[in-house]
Parts: sequence; C-alpha cells; structure tokens
Amino acid sequence: MRTVLRILALATALAAMAMPAAAQNYPERPIKMIVPWAAGGDTDNIFRPFAPLLQKHIGQPIVIANVTGASGTVGAREAKGSPPDGYTLYAVHDYIHLVHYAGVTEVKYSDFEPICLLSATPSVLTASPKTPWKSWAELAEDAKKRPGQITVGATLGSTSHIFPALIEKAAGVKFKYVSYEGLAPRMNAILGGHIDLTDSNLTQKGKVDAGQLKFLAIAAEKRDPEAPDVPTLKELGMDIVYAVLRGLLVPKGTPAAVRAKLDEACGKAAKEAEFADAMKKQGTRVSYLNAAEYGPFLDKLDRESKVIMTELGLAKQ
Amino acid sequence: MRLGRDSVAGLIFLAVSLALLVQSFGLPQLPLVPVGPGFYPRIVLIFMAVTSAALIVQDLLARRAEPADVPAPAQPQRAYGLVALAFVIVALYLVLLPLLGYRIATVLFVAALQATLERPTTWRQWAVLAAIAIGTSAVTYLVFERYLTVLLPRGSWTDW
Amino acid sequence: MFELLGHGLLTLLQWNYLVPLFAGTLIGVIGGALPGVTITMTIIVILPFTYGLDPLQGLAAMTGVYVGGSAGGLVTACLLGIPGTPSAIAATFDGFPMARGGAPGRAIWLGAWSSFFGGMLGGLFLILVTGPLAAIALQFGPWEYFSLFVLAMAMVAGLAESSFIKGLLSTAIGLLITVIGTDPIGSVPRFTFGSEFISGGFPFLPVLIGIFAFAQIMSDIEKAGVPKTPEAVLAAQPSLRVSHLKVIGEILGRPFLLLWSTVVGILIGVLPAIGGSAANMLAYDQAKKFSRHPERFGTGIPEGIIASESSNNANVGGSLVTIMAFGIPGDAVTAVMLGAMTIHGIQSGPLFVSQQPALAYGIYAAYILAHLLMVLILAAGAPFMLQITRVRLAVLAPVVLVLCVIGAYALNNTMQSVYVLLIFGVFGYALVRCGFPLAPLILGLILGDQIEINLIRAIMTDDNPLLFFTRPISGALLLCAALSVALAVWQHMRHQARTPREGAPEF
Repeated sequence: MRTVLRILALATALAAMAMPAAAQNYPERPIKMIVPWAAGGDTDNIFRPFAPLLQKHIGQPIVIANVTGASGTVGAREAKGSPPDGYTLYAVHDYIHLVHYAGVTEVKYSDFEPICLLSATPSVLTASPKTPWKSWAELAEDAKKRPGQITVGATLGSTSHIFPALIEKAAGVKFKYVSYEGLAPRMNAILGGHIDLTDSNLTQKGKVDAGQLKFLAIAAEKRDPEAPDVPTLKELGMDIVYAVLRGLLVPKGTPAAVRAKLDEACGKAAKEAEFADAMKKQGTRVSYLNAAEYGPFLDKLDRESKVIMTELGLAKQ
Repeated sequence: MRLGRDSVAGLIFLAVSLALLVQSFGLPQLPLVPVGPGFYPRIVLIFMAVTSAALIVQDLLARRAEPADVPAPAQPQRAYGLVALAFVIVALYLVLLPLLGYRIATVLFVAALQATLERPTTWRQWAVLAAIAIGTSAVTYLVFERYLTVLLPRGSWTDW
Repeated sequence: MFELLGHGLLTLLQWNYLVPLFAGTLIGVIGGALPGVTITMTIIVILPFTYGLDPLQGLAAMTGVYVGGSAGGLVTACLLGIPGTPSAIAATFDGFPMARGGAPGRAIWLGAWSSFFGGMLGGLFLILVTGPLAAIALQFGPWEYFSLFVLAMAMVAGLAESSFIKGLLSTAIGLLITVIGTDPIGSVPRFTFGSEFISGGFPFLPVLIGIFAFAQIMSDIEKAGVPKTPEAVLAAQPSLRVSHLKVIGEILGRPFLLLWSTVVGILIGVLPAIGGSAANMLAYDQAKKFSRHPERFGTGIPEGIIASESSNNANVGGSLVTIMAFGIPGDAVTAVMLGAMTIHGIQSGPLFVSQQPALAYGIYAAYILAHLLMVLILAAGAPFMLQITRVRLAVLAPVVLVLCVIGAYALNNTMQSVYVLLIFGVFGYALVRCGFPLAPLILGLILGDQIEINLIRAIMTDDNPLLFFTRPISGALLLCAALSVALAVWQHMRHQARTPREGAPEF
C-alpha cells in the first residue's frame, strides 16, 4: 500500500511539474470540439468538414463531441465549465446571444474568448407546396388579409424565429408561430402542409427543384449563383440581411499563447479550398474573421440581438 | 393492518404526483404559446395520481379478500447487503472518475467490485484480479480514446 | 427496377464496395452488442472515414452499421438481459429467459434469422413502395403523431401480465421523467428545484441503460451469495449447439407473426421521430395480443424473439424509405447518413432516386447484402460470444458496468449522463423489486417528449381540440387506442379468472 501511495505522489508531482510547460508544447493531446447540437444537423455538418482541416494545421486530432440538449444550452454550460487550456473548443452560432436574452441560460458569449468566425449561411424564406402563393407579393397580400393565420414553423427564440419576425416587422404583417425545433422536423411539416412557411437554407434546393417546396426570398446582399431565381429581400423592399453565423470560441482564461496558435491554425484551415467546397454544399459561404476581428464583431452582434429580442418581446426582464 | 408493497409504492407515487402538480401551477406563461409549460405535465401528473390511487385501492381490496394470516410464500434467500455494497462501490467510482481520471478510477473500480463479489484467497487469484482490472482499463481506454474518438474523463487531481 | 437493383448488387459485390460494407456491418454488430454504445454512436465513429471514400462506399459502410447494429443488440439482450441497443429491448423479454434456460444458441439464432427475414421483407417493401408509403407519412401532422403515440402507449401498457394498473403507472412514470428538466417548447425549467443538474433533464439513453443494466446485474448479485440449487447449476451449462434448419423452420412456420411484425417495423420506421426503440416493443405487443397463449410470453418462447427482431430490422428498411423519398431523417442514425450525403454534395430529396439511381439502388443493394454479411459475422462470432455466458459474475459485472459508464459518458461527453445512469440504476432496481414492468416506462420515456411537442404544436397550429377526433387518421388511431385498452383489460380479466390468485409478496 505504501508503494502505491508513493507512486501516486510521484505521479502528482510529475503532473504538477509538467504544468508550466503546457502552453509552449500545446497541443500535446487530442482537442475536443463541443458542438451543442446533434450529429447530422446543420451546425454539425459545417464543423465536421472543418475538423480534419484544423487538425492538419494544429497537428493533433480534433474530436467532435456533440453535447446536445435544451436548445444548445447544455453544450454552452459544458464548454464554459471546461478547463481553459485550449483542449476544449466551442462551436457556436448566433443562438448564444439569443438564448441568453431569452433567459434560457446564464451563459453569455463573454464567458469565452473568440478564436475565429468561419461561415455564414443566408436564411431563405420557404413556403409549403400546398400554399397558393407564387411570390412574396402574393404572400404579403394574403398575410395582410389574414393576420395571425399563416403558420410559421420555428425554434422559438432562436434564429429560425428571429428571421421571420424581422420580415413581420418590415412588411407590417402578423404570422402565427408553431414550435418546430431543427430543420429536419420543419421540412417534414412543411412538405406535408402542416405549416405554411419556414426559415430554411439552400441545402433544401433539391426539394424546390422537385416542386415540393417554394423559395420565396433569400436574406442575402445579392442573389446566390446556386439559386439565381430567388429574389433577395432587399430587392423586395425589405432591408433585411440575415445569415446564421458560425465560429469557434474557447473558455475565458485560455492562455494567450494557446489562443494565438489556434487562431493561426484556424486561419490556415479556413483558407483551404476544400473548406470552401464543403461550405458550398451546405448552402453556406466562408466568412472568415480572425480572433482580433471576431471579438468586436461578437460585441456588435450581441447588442443587435438584445435590441431585436427586446423589440420582439422575447427578452426576459 | 400492514400495508402491502404495492400500497407503499402507490402512496409514494401519489405523493410525488400531487406535490409536483402543485408546483406545476407556479410555472410561467410563455408569449406565443397558448398553453403554458405546465399544461402537459399536469395531464401526466393527473394520470399518474389516478393510477397510483387505483393501485392502492386494488392492493387494499386484494388484501381484504384474503385472510391476513396466510404465511408469505417462501422467498429464496437474497443477498441485499451485497447489492447495497455494489451500489456504493459504483457511486464511489463515479465520484472518483473526474478526480482521478478514467484510467486510474477504472482500475480501482473493477478491482474493488470483483473483490467484493468474490474475495480472492490465494496470491494467484489476487494477481488474476489485478490483471483483469488493469486490462479492462487499458483496453477500453485504448479502444475508445484512440479508435472510437471518445475522449474519456481526465482527472483533475492527476491530469491523467 | 430489378435491372437497376441487379446492377446495384453487382456493383456492391466488387471488392472496393464489399470491404467497406463488410467493415461497417462488423463494426455495427460489435457496437450494437456493447451495452451503452448505440447505433448512432457507432455510425458517428465511422463518419470521418467516409469522407475519404466515394459516396456509395461511405453509404454502404453506414448501411452496414445500421443493419449490423440492429442485429448486434440482440446478442447482449439474450446473453446478459441488457439490451445492447434500444431496438433490442423486447428481445430481452423472451431471449434472456430462453438463454438462461439453457438454450442461448437457440435464442441468438432465432433472433439472427428473424432479423434476416424481417430485414429481407423490409427490403422488399423498401424497393417496391418507397414512394406511396412516404407520401402517407407526410399526411401525419401533429394531431396524427399525438394520437399515434397515445395508441403506442395504450398498446404497451397492456403488456404487463401482473397488473394492468402497474403497467399504466409505469407509463406515467416514464412520461414524468421526460417532463422533468427544460420544457421543449420555450426552454422553461420544470420541476428542477433550482438545480442545474436537473435542468439538463434526464437523457433517454443513460436512463435506459441504467434501468436495464443495474436491474439485471443487481438481480444477479442478489443471488450471488446464495448456494445454487441443482437445477440452476444444470441450467448454467449452456448448450451452444443449434440446428439452423430447425430455427429457420420455427420462424417460417409462423408466417403471419413474421409478416405482421415486419409490417409494424416498417410502418414505425417510415414515420419520422419514433425509430427502432419503439418498433420492437410494439411488435412484441402485437404478437402477444394475437397469440393464443399470451400468458407464456416472457418465459422464453420463440414468438417473442421473432417479433422483436424481425420488426427492428424491418424498421431500418422503413427509415431508409423516408430518407430516400424525402431526404428527411427518421431517426438519429439516418440524420447522420443524410449529413454524410450532404457533405458529399448529394442533394437529398424527392428527386434523389430518379436523379441518382446508381446511388439509390446501391443503397438498396447494400441493405440486402448487409443482412447476408450480418448472418455470416454472427455465425463466425457466435462461439466467442456464447463464452460470455460462462464468465463469472464477479468479472462480468464490473466490466459490463464500465462499458455502461463509457456509453453514458460518450452520449454527451458529460459526467451528467453518468450520474443519471446511477440514479436510474437505483430507481430501476427498486421498481423491478416492487414488480413494476419496465417496458411501458421505457416507451413512455421514448415518446414523452414527442407527445408533448406534438400536442403543443397541434394547439399552436389550430386551437380547435376536436381536430384530434375529426381528422380521419388521428380519429382512427385514437379509436384503436381505446380498443387496445379494452382488449387488454378483457384479456387480463379472462386470465385472472382462469388462474387462482397467488399470495401478494410482502416487503
């Protein structure tokens, strides 16, 4: 028993000695990337092709851990509680601002340090094939006649809710929201005509080509070459540009040297042609910002989110 | 009159469902959603309270129908103490897991539970026990961490 | 159509496709057999490898995992009494007693061949009726789903032989567990008593593993200190020999059972959001309802194994229907497959089969071949797997528990799930000791969230509650639910009238 204790003490001492060297030798073991949604979902599909590219430039395996539950806030809490040693990355999108103001979680974007912004997925206003409208104009006219009767499938308080809510405000119409969390269940419901409208993205183009869905408008600056027939909301007279923005964070307190290494590796990985290809298949474009630019960008996003949530009456006092 | 096992279980579940039912009325309303977050739980809890009550009634009726002095059927002897001990060992394992890390905690757990269930008597048996404990830990660690991309818990005391 | 299928089969028989398919099936069988490691997790593990492969290679490997995993779960279910995957829950009901009764070989092979035949029939449906079946699934709005789930629970609550009331209460407990934590619509914490631990809710998988694994292992430990009776020692000598012809005969000799279980499996597979975990229990319930000797279910009879295992493999075929016809994942496994397709730039959706016939029929072919490979793998591995029954409890118990802990941890990569595992281990053990059936509780757990979400969605879409009865499919389903309860009560009363009441045990 005494020898066991001695070995344990020795191991502890060795571990303690190894600590200060950690930042220089970083990374020495696999890095965990927390994705707060299920495998096969939109966010997972964007970070999964990125992981091997980051791995190539950082030199250690990047292991994706899907920490799901409670609108992505279980993952947020887990990321916040992880040791700030650079061995935990946290994959986020705008939800981190929204769920905070909705009062779902105490975790805030400022509990983390920015590493990089990677991608932007423009939202597309999508209608069920069972609806009569062929264009935004027809929808707007109908919506004015029947306020609060056209149903929209959305994750309440998240990006898929904010986007149609912005349209409501700009066009002066009123929709009725039905809770559908995740794109897959929304697609299921909209194909069957159980909801009239939803927020989707260009990954659903196959269904549009088959006449099973209708894209009414895209919330980008200009039309997308993948779907040139879909007008932008700006063309339709609404000043709305809305995209789901995805990036990487690390827990607050991660050493600067470690962050610099991650920042550099992310920059190289994001510039790979392979990454651009992968994003195109996800109806997404690469939208890279390094750590220094991403920080202020997040601050701005957070202020805007607060305003939107308050205006829509979704913010918790 | 002693209560039967079913009545005791029924009473516990009845108490739980009623307590939570009271709580469910304190839940906030949501904007946009016509029924609040307490709506569905109330349906479930009422269903649970009714079935719990039915279980108690059924048990009491059954007991009244039978004379109380019928000797209970001979039960095979059971080692409940051992079960309790096994649960305690598992609980200790879960406590130590984030502190000592997966590899060390698992060796200790496998060794401890084995020794509890079947105390080795010879030196040889102890060696086999240790080999199984270390082997289980090492093989699962290698397979899951290296090949199945599951990063197992690291110890905050040992960093291992 | 069959020309295309033949072409697909020939393609898949080439080495560069056969190898990934075989590897996928093998990994699936192993992952399915490990308690705690689900098919979803297994398929995520092989996902990165498929990036480097061509799309059909990758999808073949994934189809292999899906098919292999659905069959692999039965090994653990029969030998240890712990379902290796949720889709093997019902296999424990009769498979485990049969294996304990001295015929583990027969139990496993009954399961394996039922999986094979169920899967093949499922495949036939998959190829012939992909379109029409999926179109029906789209008609299911929130009202229909809600009614369907109510029917499912009404069916399974009646499974409990001992007491119908305990079955209902068990369902209620399962539903209550899903209510605790964060509300699925507005993320309001419910019944959390301010605890962060509870507010994450109790994820289904750790609860399932906890309840089954601990209930089983602790029940074995109970008996560990007690000297064995002579017949127990005799039963502990498992017979490994099995006549395949006889087993196949047993299955095909019950064509109605096989066909009906398959149909149940496919239908549940086609409807998104339910999955194999419910299919096997519903098929088991159906088998019992239609049986002439329902009281023998649960004692180790072949019908129970056939129903469970043929339905869960047919379920895989059903899920593939939905993904092929609409590009909508029916469960977590197909969600990952769909993710892999989009990563390869394949547009899923209704045009998939016509635009990518080579790929679509390649998947059909992979599905069929994976069943053959699965039988081969089980045949090669059976002698080793059966050794599990000879391992001493003192060694088996800690090793199985370690695997359960890893499985729970890997689900979410948090210790939270592991704590849930233990809590429900204690709770499940207590329930079993009090004579509560576990199947209704598990089904309540599986469906709880979905019932609530669909109920609220229906209310949010239209505030007229009568729609649950006036929409034709929904109304019919609710009527079936009422009939199912009535039938169960009647069967139960008839059964009680026949058998004299036994003394109720005391604490």
